[in-house]
Amino acid sequence: MSNATVTEAPQRLGLLRVLGPGHVWALGVGIVLVGEYMGWNFSVGKGGMIAGLVACWVAGLLYTCVAMIDSEVTSTVAAAGGQYAQAKHIVGPLMAFNVGLFLVMAYTMLEAANAITIGFLLDTVAGMLGHTGLNQKPFIILTILALAWLNYRGVLASLSFNLVITAFAFVAIIILFVSVKFGVSAVPLDFSAVTNEPLPYGWLGVVAALHFGLWYYLGIEGTCQAAEEVRSPARSLPFGTMAGIMTLLIAATLTWYVCSGLIPWEYLGNAGTPLFDAARVTGNTSLMVLLFIGTAFATTASANGCINDASRAWFSMGRDRYLPSWFGAVHPRYRTPYRSIVFLVPIALIFALGAPLDQVITFSILSGLLGYTFMTFNMFMFRRKWPLGSIKRGYVHPWHPLPALVLLLICGATYFAVFLGYGTQLIAMLCFYIIASLWFHFWRYRFVKRGDQFTMPWPRPQGY
Amino acid sequence: MDVWNYLEYAAWVLSALVAAIMLIDLIKVDTTYDNELLTSSREGELELTQERHEL
Amino acid sequence: MAYRPPEQSLAGQIVDVVVLLVLTVGALYLPLYLGLAGAAKVPAPIENPTWEALGQNAAEQAQWAALGYTDPASANEMITARFDYTFSWTALIVMVVAVVGYFILVVRLSTKEYREVIAERFGDRDR
Repeated sequence: MSNATVTEAPQRLGLLRVLGPGHVWALGVGIVLVGEYMGWNFSVGKGGMIAGLVACWVAGLLYTCVAMIDSEVTSTVAAAGGQYAQAKHIVGPLMAFNVGLFLVMAYTMLEAANAITIGFLLDTVAGMLGHTGLNQKPFIILTILALAWLNYRGVLASLSFNLVITAFAFVAIIILFVSVKFGVSAVPLDFSAVTNEPLPYGWLGVVAALHFGLWYYLGIEGTCQAAEEVRSPARSLPFGTMAGIMTLLIAATLTWYVCSGLIPWEYLGNAGTPLFDAARVTGNTSLMVLLFIGTAFATTASANGCINDASRAWFSMGRDRYLPSWFGAVHPRYRTPYRSIVFLVPIALIFALGAPLDQVITFSILSGLLGYTFMTFNMFMFRRKWPLGSIKRGYVHPWHPLPALVLLLICGATYFAVFLGYGTQLIAMLCFYIIASLWFHFWRYRFVKRGDQFTMPWPRPQGY
Repeated sequence: MDVWNYLEYAAWVLSALVAAIMLIDLIKVDTTYDNELLTSSREGELELTQERHEL
Repeated sequence: MAYRPPEQSLAGQIVDVVVLLVLTVGALYLPLYLGLAGAAKVPAPIENPTWEALGQNAAEQAQWAALGYTDPASANEMITARFDYTFSWTALIVMVVAVVGYFILVVRLSTKEYREVIAERFGDRDR
């Protein structure tokens, strides 16, 4: 007996299908845009100004491949949980369990990083206004709880909220760029370091910079998590994701240009809030206020999107009994995965209150990176098991297998970049996933119904 | 005591409030509805109603 | 004959969640406690720093001033700090083996489980 053959009974709860392409864009860009407001600049620290720009574009190429591959698979496998559901149908249950964990970890860590940044930002502003020793904890806790509540109350409200604040944060970057171009800044743009000290670490620094180059775009693939709540996934998801990656490429390049021109690279490599610092250098109060609000909005939008995505992934795993089935519940009125949302709150708090920022960011990046590596062979297997023409795809990406190969190549380079300096974390993370995999395969999988996991109305995969 | 101290207290109070609202609602829903109904969502249902994979 | 999974008791469900939580927190905090986390920059401050000796031109000096560093000595450490990218080849090989091995392990076990899923969903090879 398979659920796929049961038509919808009246006494069934499902997630609410209310989102349009704009919400998908807001979910994708909202999570990621914070990367422009903080974090990317560590790539300048790891390799110098040129390395920062190269990392920005190479990572942009990586994510263009990710968006292309993801759009094809997701427009076909439209289920909450995104890449998790893809892995389940294409590679197999254990891979799906791992991908689900990648997603939950990457987003929960990113959420924690955002909350930490909000605390830090408020502390900075309090300091500028003459209050020292602000207790950041209540603000961190409030951020996470308030956004969790927003998510609990319904997906349409949380993503409409995201749309507004994300658009504001994006426009703030453009206004900063235009103002600086028209000479609002008291201090001139200066790119002399590009010629004087082009590569302080040589080419090795360019590779090393890739590590934080990912931060410009990390999370854009989260758009797939909304698949079950989008009105027309086959159209909205590719459109929202592609529009998102274009927005980010523009924002990332503008950000690099303004920040590198206005901030000495040695400072930029350590800065906590680079765009806000760039506004401080211009000496223009309106710009400072604008970029302060932009930073606050970008972090909030990101944390909000992360809660949305992490809870969808956790929910999907509960629904399939990869995790206790208790988590697979939908709220009868708000139609959200409410138990997963509540459960992930304390986890985000543990990381936000207890771990240093760079550690949290690295864990998020690593989980993301493992997920991108999965996408490469996932794509090959998808095309092999269901060749073009055997099922209807919402979108077919061009030049296969080139994007998958490029993605694999850049992933390899990024592992090496993370290895330079954060090798221990990489190994610790892998140990975690290996132990969790063995636990799943030898213990947890006995509670999973076998045939029910395959829910798409597709023909039998070729070769099985 | 300046405005920032009050903000800290306000943040604590609001956090507790939001947490309480969320937990109370969760308990209320869990005790009001049957767990079978709450966990009745299945993956792929929308595929049947909305998407067609025929060529 | 479809596989019928056992029902899991509430206690069992809670234990499973706790196991995952312990693993997660362990993976994050273990490197921290062992003091192995993160690459630190090593500052190499120079004697009698001036903006010129630190390689900062007029525009850059104005930028430093706007960021609150009016005295070259205060920016000395930040400007001269550098990462150390020397690494051991053994460690690199360990990493490559770990990453590749992990993916091979997961894909192989997945494929085994996947055949079962397909067999139950579509029936044994009857086509």
